[in-house]
Amino acid sequence: MKKLLSLALSMSMLFALVSCGGTPANSNPGGAGADVSSSAGSGAPSSGGEPIKIGFFAPITSAAASADGESTKNSVELAIKILNDAGGIDGRKVELVWYDDGLDTSQAVSIAEKLTTKDGVCAVVSGSYSGPTRVAAPIFQAAGIPMMSAYAVHPDVVNAGDYVFSQSFPGKVQATAAAYFAVNELKAKNIAIIAVDLDFGTEQASAFKAYAEANGATIISEDFVAMADNEFSSIVTKVKSLNPDLIYLPNYYGHAAEVLKQCKVQGVECAILGCEGADSWQFFETAGEYAEGFYITTNLDRDSQDPAVQEYIQLYSETYSKMPDMTGASAYDAMQILFEAIKTAGTDPAAIRDAITGMTNIDTVTGTLYRYTAAGSAVKPVQIQVVKDGAFHHYGVIEDESIIVPEN
Amino acid sequence: MLLQQLLNGLVIGCVYALTAMGATLIYGILRILDIANAAAYVIGAYIGWYIFDLTHNIVLAFVVSMLLTGLLGVVIHRTIYAPILSKPRLMPIIPLVAAVGLFTLTSDIVRLIAGGGTKAYNLKFDTDVYHLGGLTITPQWILILVLTCMLFLVLWFILNKTKMGLAWRATAEDAEIAQAMGINTKSAMALSYIIGYGFAAAAGIMVGVLYNSITPALGDVPSYKMLAVIVLGGLGNPVGTVLAGILVGLAETLISVYLPIGLPKDSIAFIALIIILLVKPDGLITRKNKA
Repeated sequence: MKKLLSLALSMSMLFALVSCGGTPANSNPGGAGADVSSSAGSGAPSSGGEPIKIGFFAPITSAAASADGESTKNSVELAIKILNDAGGIDGRKVELVWYDDGLDTSQAVSIAEKLTTKDGVCAVVSGSYSGPTRVAAPIFQAAGIPMMSAYAVHPDVVNAGDYVFSQSFPGKVQATAAAYFAVNELKAKNIAIIAVDLDFGTEQASAFKAYAEANGATIISEDFVAMADNEFSSIVTKVKSLNPDLIYLPNYYGHAAEVLKQCKVQGVECAILGCEGADSWQFFETAGEYAEGFYITTNLDRDSQDPAVQEYIQLYSETYSKMPDMTGASAYDAMQILFEAIKTAGTDPAAIRDAITGMTNIDTVTGTLYRYTAAGSAVKPVQIQVVKDGAFHHYGVIEDESIIVPEN
Repeated sequence: MLLQQLLNGLVIGCVYALTAMGATLIYGILRILDIANAAAYVIGAYIGWYIFDLTHNIVLAFVVSMLLTGLLGVVIHRTIYAPILSKPRLMPIIPLVAAVGLFTLTSDIVRLIAGGGTKAYNLKFDTDVYHLGGLTITPQWILILVLTCMLFLVLWFILNKTKMGLAWRATAEDAEIAQAMGINTKSAMALSYIIGYGFAAAAGIMVGVLYNSITPALGDVPSYKMLAVIVLGGLGNPVGTVLAGILVGLAETLISVYLPIGLPKDSIAFIALIIILLVKPDGLITRKNKA
């Protein structure tokens, strides 16, 4: 009996080991409430009542990123439900084919292979981070299937080719807008940067530094902190001794919350400016009252008068009992853009790509999308939000084309 | 500023020492590297969170979480490690592989039960911070320093002043001879797991309180960093582990602030490990002259 038990447990542990890079992809053809079981996929436009299949992948089971994965999956399912309840596109329902990439690049490659060869999708949304998205992008490009990245901002994503688009502005644009705001609006002269040691943080830190230094500010310190590290007391002690006017935080909500707390505890009273990485309902869980007065750059304006924005926020919070965040809103918008393209161009992937390329002034939940650059990056305004009474609120918006138009 | 940084480093070092203590006690007696201690750290932090959320009593959260996690340690030992170790001539890597699998499995189970997001302890004190001269000290730090000292005193007492502790030390010295002399090595092993997993649970709660956030990925860094601490401390030596934990905490803090060498902070523990092993191949304190 003991032998059997230990054998069974060893097997289960081996299984856990083998699958630790990410659980096997699971397709969920019924995920969006579609009532048709199979489809020939990307055939001619308007071919009767067959569902239109759209692919999706996100880090659902990654311990580090599953909150973002869940947020994006909830949002794309909500977008499809709203569309299907209203009759779909030309009488055809949209069906989601979704996969979990576990924040694992090799998993993302095999998902991209499946979506392009066997699932018959006409377009794909990535609800994942830059790592998985940038390895999947060339596969969609080679297969000629449009991929819309919701919020992965690494330049390699859109540089994969003309079938790959980003619904969010690149990190460089966001950080330049942050520097513009810090230098021109907050009049910061001496700035300390505490960034997460990932592409996300280093890219924004260098773009921020370039604009700030070119416009008269001095970067008095730069610290890069590993994603898994939560220890900021020593860095804040050091930064305090340098007496900054502003601390810039291109990092995620956990780091931002801890820096805010340490600043409060150690008596650092300068302005603190974060980025979309802090734009999460989870930020307030850990930051609590330390968050008051914190600025961020992001793409979601929660105080927007646009009824579509309020409808999304209301429906999302009713359906999932939590407030939506920037990642979810971005994935929701990526879906909206694909819907628009399919409505005008049908389900032929090349026609969808052309329709997206030609789009101008589309109202999305994350602001007006003016157009796409030749490389496929979104040109859209950068929102400045500030924390008041425990929630993000509108502070300003940066629409200056010299700031918000990406280089490529 | 130096004094403040020393204090910052000391607090982190205490957490490292407490996290690594479980693995040290288990290595000391079973000669296996139990990475799954990092799983106990995660489970402990979550059990503590649920209890604190229900009762708002942090003492109860510590006590119940340490007990339950400690008992879980005994169950894991009896059902997984003991059967594996009972096979003679088994490759020594097998328990390590089992531990890695157990750790991965646990992180995923925690994520499935508790969800992938962040949970916050939100433990409130009367004041956010105390000022002592130029030093700022938070109540969380005081909690960690006092609790770590208390736990290590209890451990010292158990190991050095009780029969159980004597049995543990004898088993750590040579399990076969200890057994031949009539010592109950099984209960010595159980003691290792109760204390080891219990301490890891306490460390998990402390980190949850300190940073006001726990996620299922909480154990990822401790799972490898505790290796540096236990090897540095002389593999299986409790006193060495305390010294090594504090040393690593101080080295990380001081080097990252005063010697900006551009290396990630996590690598500093391992650089310290390599340097010390080159000078003193047995670690800071060797097994023979351990307390």
